[in-house]
Amino acid sequence: MDNSGNLTTLSEESEEQPQQSSSPSSTSAFSNISPRPPSQSSSQKYSPLDWTDYFDQEDDICIPDTENVFHVYKAGSEGPVVFCLHGGGYSGLSFALSASKIKDKSQVVAMDLRGHGKSISDNDLDLSIDTLCTDVLAVLSTMYGDSPPAIILIGHSMGGSVAVHVAAKRTLPSLAGLVVVDVVEGTALASLVHMQKILSSRAKHFANVEKAIEWSVKSGSLRNIDSARVSMPATLMYDEPKKCYVHRSCLEETEQYWRGWYEGLSEKFLSSPVPKLLLLAGTDRLDRTLTIGQMQGKFQMVVVRHTGHAIQEDVPDEFATLILNFISRNRIGPHGIEIPGLRKPAK
Amino acid sequence: MPSHADLDRQIEQLMECKPLSEGEVKTLCDQARAILVEEWNVQPVKCPVTVCGDIHGQFYDLIELFRIGGNAPDTNYLFMGDYVDRGYYSVETVTLLVALKVRYRDRITILRGNHESRQITQVYGFYDECLRKYGNANVWKHFTDLFDYLPLTALIESQVFCLHGGLSPSLDTLDNIRALDRIQEVPHEGPMCDLLWSDPDDRCGWGISPRGAGYTFGQDIAAHFNHTNGLTLISRAHQLVMEGFNWCQDKNVVTVFSAPNYCYRCGNMAAILEIGENMEQNFLQFDPAPRQIEPDTTRKTPDYFL
Repeated sequence: MDNSGNLTTLSEESEEQPQQSSSPSSTSAFSNISPRPPSQSSSQKYSPLDWTDYFDQEDDICIPDTENVFHVYKAGSEGPVVFCLHGGGYSGLSFALSASKIKDKSQVVAMDLRGHGKSISDNDLDLSIDTLCTDVLAVLSTMYGDSPPAIILIGHSMGGSVAVHVAAKRTLPSLAGLVVVDVVEGTALASLVHMQKILSSRAKHFANVEKAIEWSVKSGSLRNIDSARVSMPATLMYDEPKKCYVHRSCLEETEQYWRGWYEGLSEKFLSSPVPKLLLLAGTDRLDRTLTIGQMQGKFQMVVVRHTGHAIQEDVPDEFATLILNFISRNRIGPHGIEIPGLRKPAK
Repeated sequence: MPSHADLDRQIEQLMECKPLSEGEVKTLCDQARAILVEEWNVQPVKCPVTVCGDIHGQFYDLIELFRIGGNAPDTNYLFMGDYVDRGYYSVETVTLLVALKVRYRDRITILRGNHESRQITQVYGFYDECLRKYGNANVWKHFTDLFDYLPLTALIESQVFCLHGGLSPSLDTLDNIRALDRIQEVPHEGPMCDLLWSDPDDRCGWGISPRGAGYTFGQDIAAHFNHTNGLTLISRAHQLVMEGFNWCQDKNVVTVFSAPNYCYRCGNMAAILEIGENMEQNFLQFDPAPRQIEPDTTRKTPDYFL
């Protein structure tokens, strides 16, 4: 299976050749006279896509007795709710492409966390784990009141930490599943020392949205152009004095909270009393606690290959399939885990 | 056809953690396949025998296991799968065990674990290790093709039932297992998958496995299975247990795990289970081999974002 990787690439290329590929790499001296469509300009290739192609509606959730208004995107009308929490610097639209694949069988809600996307808060810089958890619980409670549907919490990176902490509080009785996307305590803590450097080496100013989308793809942070075209615009804001686009989230100023996102994460993950799925990009990099937990069969782990850190954006089809299989395998219905026939002794 | 002398030389070389050539591996796998194809889904094994759990490429700990348990063929061994992945020396480990099987076919039994699979080995290291050590995937292919022939379970003196994972809701009797067509890649679901993936659980009945494959089974299930099939014990591996072995389900099931300090980070002891001439049981625990040589493969810190 695996050693066919090269063969597949080869055969695809040879199939394409007769029809004259429009890929920018085939700019030979003769390409101008070949009867192919004009290649897209950079601004077309990286033009923003609207979220309405992927989600059904958006909503602003006003949290009672606060100034906080959280923006959410929703898709689908049946089944349990897959509630998505994005990583630091991303937005709810990070889940746009995968939501469009999940929504036929399950509802999807993706919120913009505090300091991100279109959410408004009293303090955008307070990204402490406690505040982020309080926000998520407030949104769920405001949206669903006392009778929430079955909820599968999915969190990517920083959002994975929020999902785990929310699950570990055990205050969501309808929580039916927990999915963490590419974050592990051991390696996250180890990489925090590099984080300011990574943040400061990012491009910070973009003449237009297209340039920002192009940067996100060319820098390798997103590998799926279509996803970048939907998700990237929501991570930007226009800086009037500088006359350019900048990152909407001020992650550099939140360093005091980073350790709090990740310390004790593995224990909390294992202690959450619901079915658990850990999706890792590329390699298995479990810390000691998770290695023991996995080797004792306490959660499901899938290493997703050929993807960057944002698995839900880079390979949305595969991501959606993994989520839907997790839901169906664990028999999570709209009202919780339904286990017909299981738990009964054998005849 | 290599003679016993050739095999003895190869085993000697492997005991020093030196891999065989690609050609030698191919010949070895061909010979092993001819032996394994004759074995049963429920392979009968005589006592005395020493039963071992997961090894996972921890070569120097396997050598330690032989030091504690006795060398083959002086000691008979039954390995319950998971020879490859995670550790640094999957190639040397699995080659040594297969060579011992070919040399001493009646004294060594090697079962299939869930890691003896094309799909799993591409994720957890054996595939990459083969590429690194041989420059191509041929050795990986020879071994994973051979893995299809490994027996799924073994039965010691009609009393102790040994397998990697656990029971399956689709298999009530040993005859059900004997009827399976095992010569294939480990499927994602179904009875053959369950035997290699299931775990015992504190709760009664069958449950959905948190692993994403196989089932969990309660004490009621294990007791019923043992009663139905005239067994005294189910011996299995698959789960890390901090003491190296763990009784559960009112002694209907025992877990044996033979990779000490699993993954070079878990801090667990390892154990093997000696079953004597009169079926008496004796556990031997052991710590990691003092000599741990790490190959210089750098572990990359992920450059991931917040």
